[in-house]
Amino acid sequence: MSETRGHAANEPRPRGVRVEARDLTRRFGEHVALDGLSLAIEPGEAFGLLGANGAGKTTFIRMVTGCLLPSDGTVTVDGVSPSASPSAVQALLGFVMETCRLYPELRVRSFLRFIGGARGLAGARLATAVDRAIERFRLEGAATRPIGNLSKGFQQRVSLAQAFLHDPPLVIVDEPTGGLDPLQQTEVQEILRELRGRRTLILCTHDLHEAESLASRVAVLRQGRLVAVGNAKDVLSEGEALDLFRDSAEVGA
Amino acid sequence: MTALLALVRKELLSLFALPTAYLTLTMVALVTALIFFDHLRIYNQTLFLYATTTMGGFSTDEIPDYINLWDAVFFPVMETLGLTLIGAVPLVTMRVFAEERSRGTDELLVTTGLTPTTIVVGKFAVTFLFVTLMMGVSFVYPATAIARGGLGIEHLAAVFVGLTLYSIALASIGLVCSAFASSQLVAAVSAWAVAFVFWDFAWVYPFVSEGVAGFLDAISLHLRYGSFAEGIVSLSNIVYFGGVVLVAVAAARFSFDLRRVGA
Repeated sequence: MSETRGHAANEPRPRGVRVEARDLTRRFGEHVALDGLSLAIEPGEAFGLLGANGAGKTTFIRMVTGCLLPSDGTVTVDGVSPSASPSAVQALLGFVMETCRLYPELRVRSFLRFIGGARGLAGARLATAVDRAIERFRLEGAATRPIGNLSKGFQQRVSLAQAFLHDPPLVIVDEPTGGLDPLQQTEVQEILRELRGRRTLILCTHDLHEAESLASRVAVLRQGRLVAVGNAKDVLSEGEALDLFRDSAEVGA
Repeated sequence: MTALLALVRKELLSLFALPTAYLTLTMVALVTALIFFDHLRIYNQTLFLYATTTMGGFSTDEIPDYINLWDAVFFPVMETLGLTLIGAVPLVTMRVFAEERSRGTDELLVTTGLTPTTIVVGKFAVTFLFVTLMMGVSFVYPATAIARGGLGIEHLAAVFVGLTLYSIALASIGLVCSAFASSQLVAAVSAWAVAFVFWDFAWVYPFVSEGVAGFLDAISLHLRYGSFAEGIVSLSNIVYFGGVVLVAVAAARFSFDLRRVGA
């Protein structure tokens, strides 16, 4: 595994980066989690990845982030393979994981300082980035509190803040509103709506309305296979995605 | 270096935010203190009884050599400290990698751009720092015995180096177990098992050949640790403990590759 960093952590990339998968396949023993996926996500695009639980969305994301190697096929971010150069790709992305996987014992500001430091920020640049993130994600009142004492909505804001801290050209958000109440869902969706456009955004969700309101284009996965891709309004308004989604759920994918 | 320092700071914050760190430190300090003062009490009683019963009065001028602070206090304290650290260190190391996995923050760490090597080095460094502190809290007792026994600064330094290397080796064993374990409990139990097995192989000797026994002697924690206690700092002992650390670092690093493969 190469461990060299590619681009500088905070290199400005106002238009985002291209993500491309070709015949991407991932097997876990006999189970095929992702089966020959080919798709391209263009720079600056807000792209929704839809599918029922087990459809292969998270597997795809884990391969884009370099956390998992493909069994076959390739995936590239800005022309760089996460398999070959994971750190180079990870420098380009911010990642919001499903279900707020954070450090409950750390205070919000300490956590953000840690993430900034891990991203290579130091001194005044780190302090500025942390202050800006706290302000942008409306975390002023929670900055000195332990993450574990915050509500799920605030924890999700912290999760978003760490992903955008170094202003990355690619942000991947996995189930951003899972487990949140309707008010918290609306807050998180508003934040994402404000932040898309200047970067590539991959939104992984099984909420069709969320995908329609935040993504310009969507892909629907079922049992690891790509079954629809196109303009979000076209795909979702025809009801095809819902049918495909429902079929997927019924077969227990 | 910025990334490594950020990780070290975060690990220290996480470690001291939890009661486990304080409880473990207190437990090791208490156990060692109890053993030290208990052995010191027995030693003093022995001296008193010997003087009053064999010499007709209280005088330690003719106490035989076999009644000494060294055998009566220092060695038992060192032995107990060695075993106490085997019990305590896994309580610290069990969470280091296993907790990241159970929380799902292992992928958060990796996707922040921290390389697996940086993560392993940072976590090992903080754990080494903590177990050295843990050992240091208890070092006052063997140090007191050495000072009162008139053995000098060289012996004190040898024991300090030995205890530090031994603690770090135990931490390395615990960290490897944590890197591969599915839960903190499994990490702790497997670390205890490995450390106890490597502590002393004397129980195996009746069943193995002389050659095998010689090899087991060479990898026994107890014998290496014991030679430091006698004030001997040999290159082979340093290489042994250094080797344990290097193998552990490499194995923990390898665990990241295994997870990428999906094993």
